Amino acid sequence: MTAFLVAGVDTSAEALVLGTSAVLFALGAVGCLLRRNPMALLMSIELMLNAGNLVLVLAAHTRGFVDAQAAALIVLVLGAAEAVIGLALALALFRNREEVDSDEPQEVQG
Amino acid sequence: MQDRMLPLIAGCLVALVSALGVVLARKPVHGAVALLVHSLSIAGLYLALSAELVAMGQVIIYSGAIVVLFLFVVLLLPHGGSEKAASGGRMAAALLGGALLLAGLLLAISAAPRLSAPPPPPPSRAGAADVGRALFGAELVPFELTAILLLVAIVGAVTLWRRQEAERA
Repeated sequence: MTAFLVAGVDTSAEALVLGTSAVLFALGAVGCLLRRNPMALLMSIELMLNAGNLVLVLAAHTRGFVDAQAAALIVLVLGAAEAVIGLALALALFRNREEVDSDEPQEVQG
Repeated sequence: MQDRMLPLIAGCLVALVSALGVVLARKPVHGAVALLVHSLSIAGLYLALSAELVAMGQVIIYSGAIVVLFLFVVLLLPHGGSEKAASGGRMAAALLGGALLLAGLLLAISAAPRLSAPPPPPPSRAGAADVGRALFGAELVPFELTAILLLVAIVGAVTLWRRQEAERA
């Protein structure tokens, strides 16, 4: 940690954003483990996707990888597709239920 | 130096607090609003990192489309999708898992050789034109594959819904 806290604005900015995205990713993981609501689960996954994207954009900025920005755009589209399928599943599973709990979906079968 | 760090620090703070809100919100509506704030703050961070095109995409796709989609589904779920409170064991397990993951990530970041390496190349300003060139050049195959991905997602969502309607009939 100390190695990149020494000096230079770019180094400290990089450390700040990298640390933030690591914490965001861990927060998303905690949300995935903690919540039973499929909506909250999907939102936590979106948090993790955002954290990963942030690192990509940071790399594009500090290291000059233009490809990373293009990859970040593709990840955005991927997140959209994932949300569509996840929400459709959540609706299909929990439409006729009193309570939503992703730990006990008994109707999932081929 | 300060004028560049300030928006980054502010964006990081807002992103962290709103992410906490997403994880802890009991009602999905509150979670969706927190997700909206989060995605906007991430877009702000992209702007601060001079990635204007990705920031625009983030606002349109995330803040616009995905959060609205979440809100629609909250309307359709029973009881607005509210859930029982998590048990103590579940909470402890989740926190332990998150802490382990965070420790691993920070360890990997600090161990990365490139970070302690001598000064990185000067930040380049990659405009929308450069990103477009990369998108239709080196990244052409993944970019075209997203078309198939979106098509499959749409067909999959409709199929999931139709199957349920067929069962009801």
